[in-house]
Amino acid sequence: MRTFLLSIVALMVSAIAVAQVPSVTVENAKGETVNTKTLIKEGKPMIVSFWSTSCKPCIRELDAIYDALPDWLEEADFRVVAVSTDDSRLLAKAKSFAEGRGWGEDFTLLFDKNQDFMRAMNVSVVPHVFVLDGTGKVVYSHTSYVPGNELELLEAIKKCSK
Amino acid sequence: MRLFITFVGILMSASILSAQDEGYLTGSFETTDHAYVKDEANKFTPADDPFGSNNYLKLDYYKGNFSAGMQLEGYAPVLIGFPDELSKFALSNLYASWRDEDFQITAGTFYEQFGSGLLFRSWEDRLLGLNNAVMGARFAYNFEDKVAFKAFWGTPRLGMDLSDTQLRGADLSVSLSNILGFDEVMLAVEGSVLNRYEKISLDAEEAGGKPTSTGFSGRLNFDWNGMFFKGEYVDVGKKLVSLTPKRGNAQLVEMGYNGRGLGVTLTGRRLEWMGQKISSRSLSTANLISYVPAMSTQYTYMLTTLHPYNPQVGDESTHTFNSGEMGGQLDAFYNFRRGTKIGGKRGMKVHANFSTYYTLAQEGSYTPGNLLFRDFSFDLEKQWTKEFKMVLLYSMQEYNPTYGNFKTTWLSNIMVADLLYKWTPTFSTRMELQYLTTQEDKKDWMAALLEVNFAPHWSIWGSDMYNHGSTKMHYYNAGVSYTKGRTRLAAGYGRYKDGFICSGGVCRQIPQYTGANFSLTTSF
Repeated sequence: MRTFLLSIVALMVSAIAVAQVPSVTVENAKGETVNTKTLIKEGKPMIVSFWSTSCKPCIRELDAIYDALPDWLEEADFRVVAVSTDDSRLLAKAKSFAEGRGWGEDFTLLFDKNQDFMRAMNVSVVPHVFVLDGTGKVVYSHTSYVPGNELELLEAIKKCSK
Repeated sequence: MRLFITFVGILMSASILSAQDEGYLTGSFETTDHAYVKDEANKFTPADDPFGSNNYLKLDYYKGNFSAGMQLEGYAPVLIGFPDELSKFALSNLYASWRDEDFQITAGTFYEQFGSGLLFRSWEDRLLGLNNAVMGARFAYNFEDKVAFKAFWGTPRLGMDLSDTQLRGADLSVSLSNILGFDEVMLAVEGSVLNRYEKISLDAEEAGGKPTSTGFSGRLNFDWNGMFFKGEYVDVGKKLVSLTPKRGNAQLVEMGYNGRGLGVTLTGRRLEWMGQKISSRSLSTANLISYVPAMSTQYTYMLTTLHPYNPQVGDESTHTFNSGEMGGQLDAFYNFRRGTKIGGKRGMKVHANFSTYYTLAQEGSYTPGNLLFRDFSFDLEKQWTKEFKMVLLYSMQEYNPTYGNFKTTWLSNIMVADLLYKWTPTFSTRMELQYLTTQEDKKDWMAALLEVNFAPHWSIWGSDMYNHGSTKMHYYNAGVSYTKGRTRLAAGYGRYKDGFICSGGVCRQIPQYTGANFSLTTSF
């Protein structure tokens, strides 16, 4: 066990770089496979929000971002990626749900049906939101949501844009 | 320990091979702890050790194209209602993987899903205590987004150990639209095969059982301008059910339209002898190698989840003598846009669902038998002012208490109002008022919840679910949570009813209990 703990510490010490978007395969709204690394090709900062149809706070958070987006985009150039973690029970429903809220117009919708992206980003529970800079590095992240939490996202995005 | 040394060795090799890239470590830790308290009214007496604790530490290291990781789990002891085989500590997951844009190879533990998961799915769901990760080798190759192939070999995990079952699987997806250069149309044909090996008993062998079985699935995916169609046929091969050979099969169709603020999905599914187990000797709820969820609305409000639907997959170890089920659901979502007559200044969202499921009239038939479950629901969401948001939900649920063995069904009508008021940009309150009315079972229920939120860190809540129709029991719950960045701490105390905890349509039965709970979730 001592070897184990020492190895973990050694790994942590070696982990000098900031976490970033890993390479994982997910689906887009059309059902095509997409590699998550392609998200950073535009070089724009982004908000990546993990949600599911059965998670009420997730929906409140994405609605709050959706409502604030026109104003926020006047202050900074960025994109919003909404990653559904619904599995095949709710996958088709999640696509219709997102459309029925108008998210498809303003957000990039991704569907992570076996939670590979969620696991790779070490998201244990949703909602979980990340702000990534233009190179895909994590500059801010937050778990859970209560109204008002979304205000921190704009601040983080503005810092990336500087 | 030998496994761990191998793991560290792989990590070091990965570091050397990708010396030009900076590596980084990411991980998460989660603990949920209960202290149980004697509660005569709830007919609950804790065991000699009145504590329970489920713990998960997950670490992943990335360097260039390489990644490696592990998960450590500890149950000290496992929380009430979770699978009994979860106990003590184990290094449950361990993997090393190399991946570029087209190719990926993984050695160690991995998760995988073919199609909708009806043929094969390995996944983790901590709410259910389920983790059937496969230990072995997996590779995947994607040729210019035209052809994707993946294959694996390995042994699925059951409880804290690997099982004695071996799985081999392959999956091929051909994108005809990309091959033919269609821009607007997505058309793909897909197929999978899964081979399973498990030593069987002499009795099973004499009854015609074989240690090896092979299943397959064929799928078609189509999308054009928001219109979509998905079809899947699954044959899980021959197996023994109560020492009688059966052939498991399933058919799944999903179609609909998404566009212009409208989302409509129609789903139909038929299952016959689709219970696929890792081990023929285990009765654990985590003993699964495929995913056969309830294709109905997954509710979250207290009174809407009293009788969640549990699909009848056709298996001798469930409560049913039926060979399976058939049914479907229709979902419709619509967004009345801002500025329209109905939408008003801030828009309005509506949703309706109808789902209905029946037993199979007889084996091999496509004719419905007894009603298993039916639900009609409608919900409306309206942001009245900048401060006030309202959700109203109505659900009429009818379910069969004998899992389809008899025709009798029980009907409940449930109403929910969910009211959110933002007093300031960072201070808000949310209230839920719920009522369930029924002539059967425990008659009428009522419930209320009040949540007070102080963004960005604090949330306090209290709720009570009261059965005033029959038992006169209160099921109360109060708690507080503190969140900072990626860390959330929550503590509470409550009395919990027996029933089912369902996640993604897989349900586990939980007994009633009373006690305090604490949870910590963090990631880095």
